Amino acid sequence: MTYRPRQPSIFSRTPWWLLAIGLLFVLGLWAITNDTGYSQIFRALSGGVLTTIWVTLVAFCAATLIGLLVALARTSGNRILREVATFYVEIIRGIPVLVFLFYVAFVGAPAMVGAVNWLLQPFDTTITVRQFDLVWRAIVALTICYSAFIAEIFRAGIESVDRGQLEAARSLGLSRWKCFRLVTFPQALRTILPPLANDFVSMIKDSALVSALGVQDITQLGKVYSSGTFLFFETYNVVAFLYLTMTISLSLLVRLLERYLRDNAR
Amino acid sequence: MPSFIKSLAVAAAVSSLGLGATQAQDALPDLAGRTIVAVTENAYVPLNFADPATGEGIGLEYDLFNEIAKRLNAKVDWQLSSWDVMIQAVRDGQFEVGMDGITINDERRSQVDFSDSYLTSQQLMLVRADETRFTDAATFAADASFLVGAQAGTTNFYVAVYNVLDGDEANPRIKLFDTFGTSVAALQAGDVDTVLMDQTSADGYIGANPGAFKVIGEPLGTEDFGFIFTPGSDLVAPVNAALAQIKADGTMEKLQQKWFYEYNAAQ
Repeated sequence: MTYRPRQPSIFSRTPWWLLAIGLLFVLGLWAITNDTGYSQIFRALSGGVLTTIWVTLVAFCAATLIGLLVALARTSGNRILREVATFYVEIIRGIPVLVFLFYVAFVGAPAMVGAVNWLLQPFDTTITVRQFDLVWRAIVALTICYSAFIAEIFRAGIESVDRGQLEAARSLGLSRWKCFRLVTFPQALRTILPPLANDFVSMIKDSALVSALGVQDITQLGKVYSSGTFLFFETYNVVAFLYLTMTISLSLLVRLLERYLRDNAR
Repeated sequence: MPSFIKSLAVAAAVSSLGLGATQAQDALPDLAGRTIVAVTENAYVPLNFADPATGEGIGLEYDLFNEIAKRLNAKVDWQLSSWDVMIQAVRDGQFEVGMDGITINDERRSQVDFSDSYLTSQQLMLVRADETRFTDAATFAADASFLVGAQAGTTNFYVAVYNVLDGDEANPRIKLFDTFGTSVAALQAGDVDTVLMDQTSADGYIGANPGAFKVIGEPLGTEDFGFIFTPGSDLVAPVNAALAQIKADGTMEKLQQKWFYEYNAAQ
């Protein structure tokens, strides 16, 4: 008996998981618009959405920049740079984000303020720890944590480019920097972009940890609301709904990006 | 049940209080040896916390509820969970009774059943040792630049809102942190200017960080703590009856003396 592949029907091609997610979303929307309890929770939490997005965006941009620099150091010809960068990545990657938040907020910040005040001595002015906002401390901590992960993404991308490409470029007389800018990096980008976008989605979720410092993000407002009203289950439903709305829509965009990069690969 | 086994079952709590093993139990309901599943967090000195020496859960709430159970002829199965999980789980009936210095309020009554108040909390203002800009709640409240650290929904939050500041729960002068320890770290770092806590906790922090903190002003606050039960629980009435007896015969006073004045958290 010969095997005949079945024609894909409309039924087998439908992404049911996506429909299920869509259905959940509609349910959630219906709840926060029609149910008085849920709509009140939604109002209480909606102020945190902007904070979550702001913290994530700023930290992610900064982490990408630092991550790129660290990756360049890790792949550079200079031994000292390589060792220092590897040390940085290994140490930072091994510390939980939550622990790191406390380090930055309550050890790093006072030390930094002390150092700045020491420098300001001749000018007879001082700054206080309070002027270094907790939101910024949270952003700094997230930035440093993620810069280590992102550095590894960049490094893997840079190392995925065929060595022959680099040798060809060098033999054409291009400088090291031009090689990187014109040959290595554009090709590495295809490998880098999808995991980088995925890290952005992870960061949205990890930004919930900044609530430990009292930053008024979605999670913190959820904690405040639920501990006052004892409506834990209902409140965390809304918290999850808000995060899912952001993360799933972004994940779908990442899928499109991956497809686009695959189809346009030469 | 022989009296020596009974006194063993009650654990060290009562023996340390020097109570006789024969209490007048006639007036109280008899739960016939039933096991009550109780939950707490072990994160609230001196109500419930892990003994630094043994890791065992100890504190006023442990002693008090063990005593209540003893008088009702019941056993206690102690469980641990975090604050968020505790309340939801009691509401769902996974645990029968929960305690963690939980403030009684009307909004919460719609979610869980409360016992009568077993304690009226007294909060003190913990400040940095070099604090001279304010000396009590009134001088603190007068200057809008002074900030207070608290945890949402806890006693120190409510006392800060209603007894120190203006009764606005969204007052920007309150900085909310996740845990007690984080608030105190923020106080030490200079992010906030005071954190409210009871005498025992304050003594503990002062003892553990010599020269870092001090207490100012008069005790504040009229927050009432209650046990929480699954809605409709048949335990509310018996527990309230035993609680009334414990308050009436001076046992509650002894417990407060033991945990708020004699116990030293910084040992």
